[in-house]
Amino acid sequence: MTWVRTKVELERLAAGETLEVRCPPGEALENVPRSAREAGHVVAVEGTLVRIVRR
Amino acid sequence: MTSSRRGFLRDLAAAAARAATPREEPPPPPLRPDEMERYSRQLVLPEWSEAAQLALRDASVLVVGAGALGSPVALYLAGAGVGRIGIVDSDMVELSNLHRQPLHFTPDIGVAKAESAATKLRYVNDQVVVEAYQVRLEEDNADGLVEGQDLVVDCSDSFATRYAVNAACCAAGIPLVEGGVVGWSGLVMAVRPGESACYRCAFPEAPVDALSCADAGVLGPAAGVVGSLQAMEAIKLLTGAAEPLTGAFLQVDLATLDVLRVTVSRRSDCPDCRVL
Repeated sequence: MTWVRTKVELERLAAGETLEVRCPPGEALENVPRSAREAGHVVAVEGTLVRIVRR
Repeated sequence: MTSSRRGFLRDLAAAAARAATPREEPPPPPLRPDEMERYSRQLVLPEWSEAAQLALRDASVLVVGAGALGSPVALYLAGAGVGRIGIVDSDMVELSNLHRQPLHFTPDIGVAKAESAATKLRYVNDQVVVEAYQVRLEEDNADGLVEGQDLVVDCSDSFATRYAVNAACCAAGIPLVEGGVVGWSGLVMAVRPGESACYRCAFPEAPVDALSCADAGVLGPAAGVVGSLQAMEAIKLLTGAAEPLTGAFLQVDLATLDVLRVTVSRRSDCPDCRVL
């Protein structure tokens, strides 16, 4: 569900805007950055914080 | 002129300007957390979006027929989150329906199909408004039944009904998904009136030797496949998430799994859509 909520939040942003997602260690922390990159967004991960710049 | 009078006139002018400006529709409220969870497996699709989901939530769809095709169509549209679904059917559930009409169960025998279907659909998705119309769609009530709908899915089992639905949708400019199934095969077609060939463009006259499911038989899964294809086309037309099957019809043979896509052009002499 974390990626679904992230994807919808990203759709609400304008191109170039940044979304920060705090992911608990585990599946979400693996899936969210990977899915965001696959969708073409720019992603940076610092610990459990995933920073996504909308494409 | 006093300053208070000037202020009053300024307010009056501003109010008049606001009244004269056409109001834009307010944006629909965003998806709630429970909606995100319910629709998560489609929201996660790259081709899908919150906008697509909201388009479904805002849509009114009329399903004509709650039988072999109408069952899967209505089930999938309710599950997908179409906001308002109307079910038109005048028949009662019969024992011979149950092998191919998954919205109706054995205890429903003798119950009106429209009501039986509506009850199940409300269990599938309690966020959907379901309206049951226990009438037979005919030429003289078709216009009233389709009025105000965003889309009609024709799941009827007679050519007379199909032509009545097609004419009413063409007259009102309402997109339509047609379908039919008999034996092991079926047919699907999407129509954007005024833009693509309508059902009567493709089939100007009913075949004289057409057999009904009662005469020729039908397999439940064949109806399930065709109904599922109709639901897919409906979702495409409502959301724009993929290109619908307009300007063509698809013929599916479930015995051989042969699929034939036949291109159809608009007819200049079509009595249903030529005036659009």
